[in-house]
Amino acid sequence: MTPLTETGWLGAAGALAAAPVIGFAFGWFLERGGLGSAPKLAGQFYLTDLTVFKVMFSALLTAMLGAFWLDRLGVLQLDLVYLPETFALPQAVGGALFGVGFLVAGLCPGTSCVAAATGRRDGLGVIVGMLIGVWLFNAAFVWVEPLYSATPMGSIRLTDLVDIPSGAGVAGVTALALIGFAVAGRIERADR
Amino acid sequence: MTRLHTALALVAAVLAGAAGAADLASPVASRQPLAFIGAPDLAARIMRGDATLRLFDLRTADAYQQFHIPTAVHAAPADLADVPLEPGTDVVLYGDDRRALTEGVRAMPAERRSRVRVLREGLSEWLGRVHEPRLAADATPEERAEFERAAAMSRFFGGMPLANVPRAEVPAGYWTGTPRSDDLLAAAALQSVATIRRRGC
Repeated sequence: MTPLTETGWLGAAGALAAAPVIGFAFGWFLERGGLGSAPKLAGQFYLTDLTVFKVMFSALLTAMLGAFWLDRLGVLQLDLVYLPETFALPQAVGGALFGVGFLVAGLCPGTSCVAAATGRRDGLGVIVGMLIGVWLFNAAFVWVEPLYSATPMGSIRLTDLVDIPSGAGVAGVTALALIGFAVAGRIERADR
Repeated sequence: MTRLHTALALVAAVLAGAAGAADLASPVASRQPLAFIGAPDLAARIMRGDATLRLFDLRTADAYQQFHIPTAVHAAPADLADVPLEPGTDVVLYGDDRRALTEGVRAMPAERRSRVRVLREGLSEWLGRVHEPRLAADATPEERAEFERAAAMSRFFGGMPLANVPRAEVPAGYWTGTPRSDDLLAAAALQSVATIRRRGC
């Protein structure tokens, strides 16, 4: 029965041992997917290369369908999987800031690590900038805190908001993603 | 699009369609996320002697003996399947980890689950917001007003409100925008209970 950490199969030491293995695999697949290249990532914003969209939505669909069916088959206890809380306003502001940073740098936090690991200096630059940003956020937290904790909504899911069963939500998101893949393919072909 | 991509898209479409159909045919109520109640709301209901409230402590018997929320009854998660409850009864659970709480909710009859709430950060939240609320020396007017309300509750339950403490010693949690892990909550609750016992309460 999974999740292994929550059901006691994998203790704290086991979780620590598993983390680098999962992290290595994640980084390897990001790199092999071409996501260690800033120009390729920036192509997302100019609609010339939609690899990021396709990789991320493929991962999302795989995880979503896997989690739903493993739960249904009794292999995974989905209600034991940690569901982060939603803070609508600060997360919207953070998302916009993240998008600007992504466009300017051409890399996000995960892909900057992948880029740095393959020797790209722009990746290293983004990591240094990210650490400075973390330090600044901590230093300014007293002033930022009112925004940081604004509009708490608890641990909610999209299906809770629109009051539909989880399976219907899974079907809807999958349909959107498949349509998105088809549209992305057309945009890329038209650009060539 | 390659043949492999087409095949994967078809697999995803079939799995997604089946997911929608499966949930429409037999919705799984137990997969709903836990519903929560805050410590001040729980305290208010206990203070007014709300007869429709049943409170269960799902920690170990030893932990329950050391300290528990007034009116709480000790129970193992599986015991909740057999607890007789009047119609219209609201059940509140608290414990040390989400696993016990989830099992407790699942053990309740399906028709009862909509009336089950979980004290989100458990005993740690109760101690921090009701039993032993703290006011920082540099508190804002809003924090002072909240502390006055909490102090009245604290005295009702035999607790000890503390004013003018350093900011770092003021308990934080989801209500201040800093939710904590199960391990941190359990450690914080144990530490707080140990402090109360040393004072001789």
